[in-house]
Amino acid sequence: MITEAIHIEDLHYAYGDKPVLNGVNAIFPENKFSVLLGINGGGKSTLFKIIAGLLKGDQGSIRICGQEIDKLRFKDRASLIGFLPQFTQSVFSFTVEEILLTGRTAFSGFAPKKEDRLLVDKILKDLSITRLKDKPFTQLSGGEQQIVMIGRLLMQKPKILLLDEPTNHLDVYYQHYLMEKLKDYSENDFTVIAIMHNPTLAFQYADHFCYLHHGNIYTPSNPKEPNVELLEKVYSMSFVEFMREGKKFMLPFGEIH
Amino acid sequence: MNRKIANIICFGLPLPMLVISLFIGSSAQVNVFDYLPLLYKKLADGIMNVDEAAQYEMISNILFNVRMPRILLTFLVGAALSTSGGVLQGIFRNPLVDSYILGISSGAAFGASLAIVYSLSFVNVYAFVGGSIAVVLTYMIAGSHKQISTVSIILSGMIISGVFMALLTMVQYISNPYKLQAIVQWAMGNLHAASWIELKQAFLPILICLIIVFVYRWRINLLALGDDAAKSVGVNPAFDKLILIICATLMTTTTVAVAGIISFYGLFLPHIVRMLLGSDNSKSIPGNIFLGGSFLLLIDNLSRALFVFEVPIGIFTTILGGAFFVFLMRKNKLNWN
Repeated sequence: MITEAIHIEDLHYAYGDKPVLNGVNAIFPENKFSVLLGINGGGKSTLFKIIAGLLKGDQGSIRICGQEIDKLRFKDRASLIGFLPQFTQSVFSFTVEEILLTGRTAFSGFAPKKEDRLLVDKILKDLSITRLKDKPFTQLSGGEQQIVMIGRLLMQKPKILLLDEPTNHLDVYYQHYLMEKLKDYSENDFTVIAIMHNPTLAFQYADHFCYLHHGNIYTPSNPKEPNVELLEKVYSMSFVEFMREGKKFMLPFGEIH
Repeated sequence: MNRKIANIICFGLPLPMLVISLFIGSSAQVNVFDYLPLLYKKLADGIMNVDEAAQYEMISNILFNVRMPRILLTFLVGAALSTSGGVLQGIFRNPLVDSYILGISSGAAFGASLAIVYSLSFVNVYAFVGGSIAVVLTYMIAGSHKQISTVSIILSGMIISGVFMALLTMVQYISNPYKLQAIVQWAMGNLHAASWIELKQAFLPILICLIIVFVYRWRINLLALGDDAAKSVGVNPAFDKLILIICATLMTTTTVAVAGIISFYGLFLPHIVRMLLGSDNSKSIPGNIFLGGSFLLLIDNLSRALFVFEVPIGIFTTILGGAFFVFLMRKNKLNWN
């Protein structure tokens, strides 16, 4: 049996009188790389913000690793979930190290500990961005900033990585580099859940897919495999499926319905 | 810039600055070369003739009852203003704000002026109430639930500041001429009336707030990344922000109660500190405390020594700060759309 990292039941949310989520039911399995697909403005980011505790759902329940989300303290949630929001800007030119250390604020109180600084070095090395350590965050490229922000999540040592468009701003090389990394994390005791806008890329790496459509989440009976029917319904356009070197690829095919 | 030099400027400068400032002022009789031999005589063998004793007495009086309280107060006021500026810039994520631009100073000045006109005691308290009302109004007008834009917070601060300035003028208008002069002089931002009494009123609230901000300094880094960035790493920013805004407000209103409005100082000093020490608030908050204190002391020394008459320090900082504000606006390329 698959263990559940996140279990969502009958979740509703509305901005004013505009409903965004109408009774969402979904399960994200533990130690997998899950991807949530759906159109712009469909409520994916809203859902993630509710899971991360930035917004509160109107109705319904969410369990994270078996624990009811409303009963978790901020700090406890931070040790379960690391959330990468869609946009992070820094007004001040903090160095990369200083940005990473902010990830420990909930745990280290009023000053970073020595372990925290060692953890920074370890994570920078792990993401191969040690050279950026003392660089001002504001002077990095969009892609480098994104990688640094993912490093900041890892500083929390969470069980679940919740990523809102992690490949945003990245060039093709870094997109694949990051997806490879995320896949790696999911095989090493992390649960990775990401919103993606590129099904082609997502299907090459992730191993669990669900689709947000009209305020509901649809999980196909075989969530591992691309589901052309659902993709076409969600994006209102055609997709082609083809094999190359034993791998299945999925391409959007221009024909807009 | 060289880290070492930056550290010396921020943390090595204050002590010599405090000592040198003791010997700068309008009174020609007080001269370090007269005082030191007298002091030596007094300490070494304790024998002085009558003239020397009288001179020693007078110089000591000027040094320790006129200049010393003023110097300490100036240092405290400078530290308070620049630290609250640094804190507010961090938590509003806006390099263009300080307690003057957010309306805190004007609100405090209005509260304090009421207390002065009606001869109420605890001017401090009225200043704090006025400043708190101003900052709450500014925050509400700028729109508290959405992300506050750089420009909207400045505009609403300017409006609130303007309204309280108008109210202050009204208080001046209805007050009797005798009190009017006192209020006008005080509101301009002035340290020349400083005595041990003012220092006693101001040092406790300012010191307590400085200590609290110092303790919270590292957490300001996280707050400066925004509410979402804080919540997503498990910190509820509301509590930290509340504590820090109260400290910034209390520090500013205390300075207004004793020294009037010293505008823009809290805006430009944190920028100078950031240029010297970097953006990390773990370092820049102590920098604001120490350089903030000694730099205002420097400006005050200039305002005493440059001209025959004494220029109110508030006017000095406004001229310096106004130019710097324009520079920052251009550098930050504000998006006016």
